[in-house]
Amino acid sequence: MPRSEASDRGMGLTTFAAEIRSEWRSGNRARLARLVIIALSAAAIATFIGSIMTGAADASLSNVWYWLIGEADQALSVRDRIIILDIRLPRAVLGMLVGASLAVSGVVMQGLFRNPLADPGLVGVSSGASLGAVLLIVLGTATFGPLFALFGFYALPVAAFFGGLVTTLLLYRIATRGGQTSIATLLLAGIALGALTGAVTGVLVFLADDKQLRDLTFWGLGSLAGANWTKILASAPIILLSLAVTPFLARGLNAITLGEAAAFHMGIPVQRLKNVAIVSVAAATGASVAVSGGIGFVGIVVPHLLRLVIGPDHRYLLPASALLGGTLLILADMIARTIVSPAELPIGIVTAFIGAPFFLWILLRGRSNMGL
Amino acid sequence: MINVSNLTVRLSGRPVINGVSLEAPPGALTAIVGPNGSGKTTTLKAISGELSPSGGTIRINGRDLRGLKPWELASMRGVLPQSTVISFPFTVREVVRLGLAAGANTDPAVHDRIAADALEAVDLAGFAGRFYQELSGGEQQRVQLARVLCQIAEPVIDGEPRYLLLDEPVSSLDIRHQLGIMQLARKFCERGGGVVAVMHDLNLTAMFADHMVMMKAGKVRASGAPREVLTDETMEAVFGCRMRVGVAPAPPVPFVLPQTASL
Repeated sequence: MPRSEASDRGMGLTTFAAEIRSEWRSGNRARLARLVIIALSAAAIATFIGSIMTGAADASLSNVWYWLIGEADQALSVRDRIIILDIRLPRAVLGMLVGASLAVSGVVMQGLFRNPLADPGLVGVSSGASLGAVLLIVLGTATFGPLFALFGFYALPVAAFFGGLVTTLLLYRIATRGGQTSIATLLLAGIALGALTGAVTGVLVFLADDKQLRDLTFWGLGSLAGANWTKILASAPIILLSLAVTPFLARGLNAITLGEAAAFHMGIPVQRLKNVAIVSVAAATGASVAVSGGIGFVGIVVPHLLRLVIGPDHRYLLPASALLGGTLLILADMIARTIVSPAELPIGIVTAFIGAPFFLWILLRGRSNMGL
Repeated sequence: MINVSNLTVRLSGRPVINGVSLEAPPGALTAIVGPNGSGKTTTLKAISGELSPSGGTIRINGRDLRGLKPWELASMRGVLPQSTVISFPFTVREVVRLGLAAGANTDPAVHDRIAADALEAVDLAGFAGRFYQELSGGEQQRVQLARVLCQIAEPVIDGEPRYLLLDEPVSSLDIRHQLGIMQLARKFCERGGGVVAVMHDLNLTAMFADHMVMMKAGKVRASGAPREVLTDETMEAVFGCRMRVGVAPAPPVPFVLPQTASL
């Protein structure tokens, strides 16, 4: 009996792979997309567990498991429990949240601007969010005392959210004229806004004291190293809320790929769609930046890869991007903390090493139909 | 019935449409013609709800456009723009199905049939798996029409007629497909729906339109049956050059009229 079950599972996996192959050949991407989402869910769970099990210290997961189910007599070491529950687990959870948030923000922004190169990191939304956070750190309790009192540990994500929102709105105003968004203007405006926020951040760094300086350095690089449950508590509600809104944007984002006028013809309340999309991108980016600094390229690489396989239909692209974004960020984090072990690389460096060449590749491949 | 009365539209402060009134009844093909910049497309955009008029009223089936939500409008009329650029790699099937999502049909069982029928109707059966971006301009235009036909698949629902608003539907097509698409529009009218089309080709217009509205400089200069509108005097007044209606060129010059085609 157990044997036949096991062979059934084995069969299941091969049939699954064969099914994906046949859907790919038939060109029916809707069914293919559903299969890919199932496969990505499995990959996300596997990566999540894998990342809890790997690290510089050899902590045993089974010990923690025995502790969880109440059989603590099974030679549990307290050290293992701390490493796994208080260090690796929050790190994996945060990686999943931030990765999903960055990838989905990329999808929404690309849909909104109708261009596969629009990414919150690239066009300066992340740097706007960082500026919001840096402002709060440096000017701190003296200026923003009431804000801290009001929002508690949400103060930092909220400040980053407003930084991101202001930048996104500015970008939209600058790059859109008569319902048409110029990608050249968008990227150039992104550079200009990035330089401006950089300059302001520079002034703040000049003003900062030693402790603040250490906090600030972290924004530039981007890292999951400081992950703890407080950060998760501060960012998860904002990130999960903005992710939860996006399925309702899917049909509108699909329609708007034909242009704002065509989307209106198809019954989409365009202005409302844009407002909700901008606020959710700013919120998700802001919350991510607040807890992990500027991690680049996830928002470009993930959606682009998925569009090649399952197509640009946002009903599938959004959930698939969330899953793949989380998975890839956890993988990048595993590289970051094992490649120079026991020290670790900031994860932003790893994603940049993978993402920047990929970005150039997209650019060279699709130059003609991107209006550049 | 679509009623436009005393419509005025300003674009960046300049009046582009000046007191235009027209009626597009169901069961009829109404063509708007006129020289470049005469306000044909702007008029169509106002009827579609895309541009808000600075004066006058537009009614569809008796309801004022201003009181209608985007999704209510989408269930009453479909709009074909002059050209549509898509920045993501959608297949033809996916583009056409975007129209289904906008329409009134929610039963997925009929979706496949409506989409297949629409592609067949624009002579693109077998193109479903092709990438939109790789098609020619004329083929893309026909895909968009199929998308609109998916949105407004039934010309009449619950006794209420529905409308197709077409902005130069045949301008980038070869003569065979021009005739095919115009016949499609006619069939839509015969089944009880209404069509408003901005047209450039006067011969095709004369052949297929029930009603012609000739515009110049943001005003209606003539309207009525093609035979009443297409006169030597009106042509000269509107297009600014002398020409003769219904006169064939002298013998050695070849000419081809769509009226002689058989499909």
